[in-house]
Amino acid sequence: MERPFDDIWVLDMTYDLGRYVGRLFADLGASVTRIEPTGGLPDRQLISSNDPATREPAVYEFEFLNAGKASRTLDLQSAEGRAAFAALARSAEVILLERGGPLYDELDWLRSLSPSIVVTSVSPYGRTGPWADAAATDLTLQAAGGIAWLSGRIDDAPLRLPGSQATMVSGVYAAVATSLALYDAKATGRGHVVDVSAQECIAHSLQNSIQMWDFEKKVSMRGGEGTRDASEDMFACKDGLIFLAAPRSLGVSWNALINWIRETGHPAGEALSEARWADRVWRLTSEAKHILRETLESFTRQYTKEELTQEALKRKIVMGPVSTVLDVLEDPQLRHRQFFESVVLTHLNATARFPGAPYRLSEPVWSVSPVAPLDPTPARS
Amino acid sequence: MRPNFLKGIRFTDLTWAGAGPFGTKVFSDFGAEVLKIESMTRPDSVRTAGPFKDGVVGTNRSGYFASRNTGKHSVSLNLKTEEARQIVRDLVAHSDVVCNNFGPGAMDRLGFGYEALRAIKPDIIYLSMPMYGQDGPRAELLGVGMTISAVTSIMWQTAYGPDDPVGPGTHYPDHAANPYHAAFAVLAALAHRRKTGRGMKIDLSQVESTTNFVGPAIVEAAATGRELPQIGNRSRNHAPHNIFRARGDDAWVAIAVTDDAQWRTLTELIGRPDLAADASLSRVAGRLAALARVEEAVAGWAREHDVADIVAALRPHRIAVAQVSSSRDLIENDPQLAHRRYWQHVEHPEVGPVLLSALPFTIDGERVQLERPPLFGEHTEAVLGGLLGFSDERIKALNELGALS
Repeated sequence: MERPFDDIWVLDMTYDLGRYVGRLFADLGASVTRIEPTGGLPDRQLISSNDPATREPAVYEFEFLNAGKASRTLDLQSAEGRAAFAALARSAEVILLERGGPLYDELDWLRSLSPSIVVTSVSPYGRTGPWADAAATDLTLQAAGGIAWLSGRIDDAPLRLPGSQATMVSGVYAAVATSLALYDAKATGRGHVVDVSAQECIAHSLQNSIQMWDFEKKVSMRGGEGTRDASEDMFACKDGLIFLAAPRSLGVSWNALINWIRETGHPAGEALSEARWADRVWRLTSEAKHILRETLESFTRQYTKEELTQEALKRKIVMGPVSTVLDVLEDPQLRHRQFFESVVLTHLNATARFPGAPYRLSEPVWSVSPVAPLDPTPARS
Repeated sequence: MRPNFLKGIRFTDLTWAGAGPFGTKVFSDFGAEVLKIESMTRPDSVRTAGPFKDGVVGTNRSGYFASRNTGKHSVSLNLKTEEARQIVRDLVAHSDVVCNNFGPGAMDRLGFGYEALRAIKPDIIYLSMPMYGQDGPRAELLGVGMTISAVTSIMWQTAYGPDDPVGPGTHYPDHAANPYHAAFAVLAALAHRRKTGRGMKIDLSQVESTTNFVGPAIVEAAATGRELPQIGNRSRNHAPHNIFRARGDDAWVAIAVTDDAQWRTLTELIGRPDLAADASLSRVAGRLAALARVEEAVAGWAREHDVADIVAALRPHRIAVAQVSSSRDLIENDPQLAHRRYWQHVEHPEVGPVLLSALPFTIDGERVQLERPPLFGEHTEAVLGGLLGFSDERIKALNELGALS
């Protein structure tokens, strides 16, 4: 069976911000080989730690972000290692580099190995500029890219997004850029150098806040302070939280919600039918947010997440459950669509459910497989 | 540079609002001809949402629209008329990709289901991206980007601490996960078509796509059966690791100490030799156990200093540190983005120069130069008259019928 990238060989030397790129290509048929120094790339060093606290979160990232990849040790300090790498590179289509990893500073040599190769580098701030060498982590990149500023409560600190989002965001942008460059390289025989900055990837993902400053000289504030409708929030229910969106611009959602409350005879229906709730400016105030929370929760606390979701479906209210991580694994829609994939965790001697394909293709060309062990003994032929 | 990597590729683009158009924008930026089908009978919600130039509302004045639609061509078609729907079919016959982000079933109701369009163009690449997928018990659930954050656990995990979720301040999945997974899938389908001659249908459930963005957390919870800790700006294996208030009005700095040597350096920089001398804090496990004391020491120092001074003090010692930047900080005061020419001003006939984010990478050392977004219906006549060969009279008649409104 043909697969979109079954003619593509990727040499992958990323270990943090760039790891999702090779994963996306591998799932669609590319051969992706991690080239690791003796002792392993930094992400392998973490999962080899004797300290369970160090190993624990890192191993799940390792298994997820490296799924489908092979791994091979090459000593790139030695002449033999470099010769072996050069031989691999001559038959590869893509090289993935990350700042701090092997060969990041040898771009010219890499390009000289093959005129049609695509070399993609992922780094915190890009290859050039005053911060090109600055230390960075997921937290500091979410700060420097402008997304931490946008989350949190106004009277508290800005808040980053969970789960290494700098890696995920950089990964999808770098994968798209690499695929575009590859599309051209295949057509023309001309290779490309792609330089991806994680800070820029995050700054590219800030909703409309750049235009808010450019056009109206307003700084978008965390929690949507001054711009977010009182209804666009989480509300307590019997067994957790529900997320509602019913601003005046989604009038159908608001009207359906109020009609339901009124039908039940609950007093919140009357209170939320008062004229002031038609005033979209007042609805942005903290007063409105406070009143809506008290009033609406007196109603929603009578119901479970599931019951509220069923009413949302029936009545076309824009409302859904606030799921915990374990809840996602039990999501009835995801289960119905048989979304999760059972995958062996190579470094834990276990099997676990992985998120399935981010997109479903009409030909069966997507599949996920476990990360291969480092330097497996070649089978006799 | 104006890359022509996708020259000759044409999209009939029915996507609207945020996530869909953001995903097709990268194709027009790389030289594809993206025909944006839109109508004032059901205007693209980002045309009618702000921000507007100088706060003045107008169809062609939205900055949000501009940032999602660079380089596209606008073809105005009122899909409530059969004439307009036939024009879409005619365009599809000349297209490589057709895409939409309507709810489940909407394309079928318009007569634009995959099989119907494949009958017109056998190798068409067909992208749909409804929120929760095409089928199943919650397929019809209505949502916005934040709903996707809610059902994928991103909202619950974006928390200051245990049982204190706040959620992302933006419709986060609309701005990276879904548009860029979609773009990657279309590029894969183009690569596949080049080898096989076959098109493909891509069904992207935005919830499934976004769930991959929290993939490691899902795998961990599945493997252990335990809920993940809600850690906010903190880390499970580093300390101190947080966002601290700095001197000034709403000024904040992110500091992440990632090894024990950095901790010793930090104690010197903040003038706390007592902490360096405290053996119980020399290893990360001890610092995590005494987190309140460790963080208070850093917080006490940070609030007495300007962010720029904190960054200047820590960065030469290889400690990860950054200002928590607002949009204004990024645009006006970020030397790194300025050096790399990240910001582009694109001239627009109605609103003058528009500030846009460049694509977040360079190709062969150069920025991809963005082209301005289209005015509403700007390319209708050129596309109908040129590509489809309609006569002026026919276009006039369609206009009078309301098919082009």
